[in-house]
Amino acid sequence: MAVQSDIIDDVGPYDRAKALGAFKLGDVTFYWITRLSAISVLLILGGIIISLIVGAYPAIREFGFSFLWTQRWAPSADPPVLGALGPMYGTLVTSFIAMLIAIPVGLGIAIFLTELCPQWLRRPIGMAIELLAGIPSIIYGMWGFFVLGPFLANSFQPFMIKIFDGVPVLGAIFAGPPSYLSTFNAALILAIMVLPFITSISVDVFKTVPPVLKEAAYGVGCTTWEVVRSVVIPYTRVGIIGGIMLALGRALGETMAVTFIIGNSFRISSSIFAPGTTISAAIASEFAESDGLHQSGLILLGLLLFVLTFFVLAAARLMLMRLDKKAGK
Amino acid sequence: MSDLSVSMSASGGLPQAPVLPEAPAKVTVRNLNFYYGEHHALKNINLTLGANRVTAFIGPSGCGKSTLLRIFNRMYDLYPGQRATGQLMLDQTNILDPKLDLNLLRARVGMVFQKPTPFPMTIYENIAFGIRLYEKISKSEMDDRVEKALRGGALWNEVKDKLNASGLSLSGGQQQRLCIARTVAVRPEVILFDEPCSALDPISTAKVEELIQELSENYTIAIVTHNMQQAARVSDKTAFMYLGELIEFDDTSKIFTSPTDRRTQDYITGRFG
Repeated sequence: MAVQSDIIDDVGPYDRAKALGAFKLGDVTFYWITRLSAISVLLILGGIIISLIVGAYPAIREFGFSFLWTQRWAPSADPPVLGALGPMYGTLVTSFIAMLIAIPVGLGIAIFLTELCPQWLRRPIGMAIELLAGIPSIIYGMWGFFVLGPFLANSFQPFMIKIFDGVPVLGAIFAGPPSYLSTFNAALILAIMVLPFITSISVDVFKTVPPVLKEAAYGVGCTTWEVVRSVVIPYTRVGIIGGIMLALGRALGETMAVTFIIGNSFRISSSIFAPGTTISAAIASEFAESDGLHQSGLILLGLLLFVLTFFVLAAARLMLMRLDKKAGK
Repeated sequence: MSDLSVSMSASGGLPQAPVLPEAPAKVTVRNLNFYYGEHHALKNINLTLGANRVTAFIGPSGCGKSTLLRIFNRMYDLYPGQRATGQLMLDQTNILDPKLDLNLLRARVGMVFQKPTPFPMTIYENIAFGIRLYEKISKSEMDDRVEKALRGGALWNEVKDKLNASGLSLSGGQQQRLCIARTVAVRPEVILFDEPCSALDPISTAKVEELIQELSENYTIAIVTHNMQQAARVSDKTAFMYLGELIEFDDTSKIFTSPTDRRTQDYITGRFG
């Protein structure tokens, strides 16, 4: 007791509330800085939506909902006709094909890296994936234009035509004159571009599976495939879908590489080897020399991409919720 | 007999399982050595697990008892740099045979872990999953098997109304019993318990211990535990391990009442470990 009172005497009387008051000011500042940061996101998002709507308004007034299902894109006709069906179709189809390729390959790489790969091979493959993510998109575009395009047109497409000629549906998908610039070329480049997203996120979440859980699955006699399918993937489902969404977001919006190799044709073709366009490619290739209604139409396209991305992400969320329900959460 | 009762009271009255007659060997370990890379973790182990008997492995942390357990179902194979030498037989099967089908081995030798490890699926699926790996059976047969397994795990009454809830929604003790039920569902011959109660409360522990005793009627059981009362309560034979060596292996009542080795005595009386 004596010791304690000595200490208090040494320090002398002081005002605790005042000492804490200094912290309070810091707290309030901190609170407002973080709050403003969070609010600024909403403001920026709102601002972008509003300016898109304002910019697109002339086109909306002119074309109304028919903009959505008109395929013709003739800005210099009299009167000009603008329709978003071609670019919307192109955006969805390229992203769909890209995900069709990138999801299995990306997950496959991640599974191999975490579950099967010998230790010495892990780093080289992991680094290659990281480097793939670091390549600027214009370089993918050039590569697609000079290397992948010729290969697809000269070798791959004739091969597919030979196999599927005369088969209903599939025949039409691969038919048509060879072209370096095609929807499929763009989709393939997109697949390569989004692959690192899917792989690196999947690898990260696969590593979070507790070893003992995997041992338990091996312990009832599972093979590696069964462990991955029944334990690792369900356990990490949310993370994997997050990675896929990130990849899909990039695929839907990717501009430069796609503009380079898709051919910018607004006509919808049944063949995936025919030129097409996407929303972002259409905007990128035409915006600089557009004005008036044409420009407004392009802004409306941008707004559509915004809405499209939103709906795709919302659908993915919904899917995730239903999966959770099925797993009994 | 009178000898036993005298020494029992001397050891502080630990509850004792009755001494059962010698059982035929289910698992035979001969000159077993194990290495984590360069580290020699198990040195020349010799023992047998009797059929339908509970064998407990005790010893201070790092003595190699869990390591030994993980050799019985070749779990160490998942990790590079770990290897075992010597002879390890499950009936007539050489467990250490590199050509052995590990999935079949693990169907015969089930394992329950320290922490409950329900799979990320429903309670029903947690059980059905393992069965489905080996058998193609109809929905109604599967329902029967799941019920039987959950009864076997002493869990049926608690979960019969929520079989479609996630296995992760159960309490820790229930999860552990779910894992036991899952192991039993595959119809193994040997069940390995690696400190099955260390994450459980006393009531759940009692339930699991009771379960282990019941299971020994049909299965050969090996259990690693840090709890000496538990070893005394549930096991017929006890192996005391220290620094990678098997110091003493005998009837549980003998180990806990009149151990031959000084180190065993020190350990069970709490002088170290």
